[in-house]
Amino acid sequence: MDTSTIISIKELPPEENMLPGTAACAGCGGLLTLRYCLKALGDKIIIVNAAGCFTLLTIYPFSPFRNSWLYTAMACAPAGAQGVRDALDILIKKGKLDPEENLKVVVLSGDGSAYDMALSSTSGAIYRNLDFYYICYDNEAYGNTGFQHSGASPFGSRTGTTPPGKEVPVGSQLQKKNLFDIWNSHKPPYIATVSPAYPVDLMNKFKKAEQFKGPKLFISHIPCPPGWGFDPSRSVRLAKLSVETGLWPLKESVHGEVEHTYVPKRFKPVEEYLKEQERFSHLFKPVRQEDALKSIQEMVDEYWKKHEFLP
Amino acid sequence: MLRLRFHGRGGQGAKVASRVLGTAAFLDGYNAQDFPLYGAERRGAPITAFTRISRDDIMERGLVSDPDIVIVMDETLLLDPQAMPLSGLKIGGIVFVNTPLSPLETKEEYGIEDHVVTLDITKVSLDMIGKPVLSSLAAGVASRIAGIGEGALKGALEKELSGIISDREILGKNTDAALHCYNALVPVQVKTAETIRERDNVITLPFEIARVSSPAINATGNTPLRKTGNWRVFRPVWNYDICTRCMTCVARCPEGCIRLNEDGYPYADYDNCKGCLVCAEECPVKAITKVREIHSRSEEGDR
Ligand SMILES: Cc1ncc(C[n+]2csc(CCOP(=O)(O)OP(=O)(O)O)c2C)c(N)n1
Ligand code: SF4
Ligand code: SF4
Ligand code: SF4
Repeated sequence: MDTSTIISIKELPPEENMLPGTAACAGCGGLLTLRYCLKALGDKIIIVNAAGCFTLLTIYPFSPFRNSWLYTAMACAPAGAQGVRDALDILIKKGKLDPEENLKVVVLSGDGSAYDMALSSTSGAIYRNLDFYYICYDNEAYGNTGFQHSGASPFGSRTGTTPPGKEVPVGSQLQKKNLFDIWNSHKPPYIATVSPAYPVDLMNKFKKAEQFKGPKLFISHIPCPPGWGFDPSRSVRLAKLSVETGLWPLKESVHGEVEHTYVPKRFKPVEEYLKEQERFSHLFKPVRQEDALKSIQEMVDEYWKKHEFLP
Repeated sequence: MLRLRFHGRGGQGAKVASRVLGTAAFLDGYNAQDFPLYGAERRGAPITAFTRISRDDIMERGLVSDPDIVIVMDETLLLDPQAMPLSGLKIGGIVFVNTPLSPLETKEEYGIEDHVVTLDITKVSLDMIGKPVLSSLAAGVASRIAGIGEGALKGALEKELSGIISDREILGKNTDAALHCYNALVPVQVKTAETIRERDNVITLPFEIARVSSPAINATGNTPLRKTGNWRVFRPVWNYDICTRCMTCVARCPEGCIRLNEDGYPYADYDNCKGCLVCAEECPVKAITKVREIHSRSEEGDR
């Protein structure tokens, strides 16, 4: 692939490596992310898919992909990727597979898998310096089984298992795990956060990752219309808001060195993002939960202060 | 015993409709059962839910394969081989269809031999609630057809919806819309035979070992054949007089189903466009408008 950077959406590769007609919800931000990722990766790949919404993209006898696809249970996609990588390497070494026929190995998983169940197998794969791409589409819950709380669910959100009520009006009381930092502490060659609202940034990160052998990890923060509770047409708008409010920093790490790739000129108040979603509606109605709203804003401000983008 | 089957699309509220009906029947002194069928599909895909109503104990369990009443909340489902809402309908059964067509037109359009009742509940919902969410309205029509009293329906709406909708105003609008639909229909007598029409019946698959039952797919890129275009309630329509060919809509479509014509102007593959309207929302010059899909007459709207 040509690794020069692009500057506008007009330069996105025209090839579509994922076709329409899938079972994903209308307006799924994860599907949009995947469409861009496959533009960047091309079709000589094999996707190892942990159970989740995206296992449903391929339902017998249909597949939206031009590439190969393998389905695993939630906890073991990185282990599956290791097996596929080893098999490809051995076949090439024995001369049974033309090196031209080599495939890039790509793990695709939701946050429930990436942040929780598959964390140990991912850690193992990074530790072994497995040469693969890992894409996590993070809808901040276990989307496929009814939007239950995951390690990625943010403080103050309503999920299937953290309904706000009399005892706990705020919903989820836990803070989202910092998967970027967890991965980064393993010092893999390349990690990035991406967003479906910033396809140029996403594309350039994949182009950059291309040069590294070893784990190349991507987390995409993706709006989920049924889980988050908003009209599907607002999907890209919400992805933009999560970045513009500073909630989802766009950054990358090369061998452990972190750099932000986009910093909003003026941070929008997080409320603008929260108030558009049903999963945060209890923070505004019937009574405004000032403390919760304030602490969410403070958490964002602290992050950017620590990185010296805010005084 | 009356057996009902609701056919809707994920997000339209088939599950809630069957639940409201079950509760309404219970409040009216019947025994009732209601439950949805969760398949592998998502918002927009065909969804089924069931209700059983009886004066006696209900000893039957499992899916309703031979309903007396079928509630079709989205008329495109009538042609969808994945949904087949009429399968197993008892002779003399009642089919409710959400459509702007009259019962006679609907019978002709879709070749239905049984008693058809119609109402454009999507329009009622857009007019009265402002959104195409049909749960309470479908519960309203189903209650009328099943002969449930208005008071019981009201009680069930309050009981079931207050747990889901926190905003009292929206809850009120839902109740009004449901009662409007209830009263828009004339009462019918449900007198079904115990026999079903011999067509399109539910096929029971035999148990197979994993090697047979989890087959591999050896085709690539064939999902366009699934034609998810009938998931739409609204379609995007382009105005080339103002379109600047900036490519934003092409880039932003989650499905990747916007193409370019010979002049470089974008158009949607309506066979697969799910109608999310991200394209319309993101177009910087507002060259894309949202047009209500009227399925039975939609052909001329295609490019
Ligand atoms: C080991 C294991 N446990 C449970 C399941 C059942 N399961 C299938 S999908 C899913 C939810 C996955 O959530 P997430 O990884 O966040 O992906 P999403 O559904 O949001 O795409 C669960 C619990 C499974 N397939 N494997
Ligand atoms: S539930 Fe959310 S993440 Fe899953 S397919 Fe639907 S929109 Fe996408
Ligand atoms: S986004 Fe609007 S102006 Fe741009 S190509 Fe699409 S329709 Fe035309
Ligand atoms: S409505 Fe627009 S963005 Fe959504 S699927 Fe259709 S063409 Fe694509």
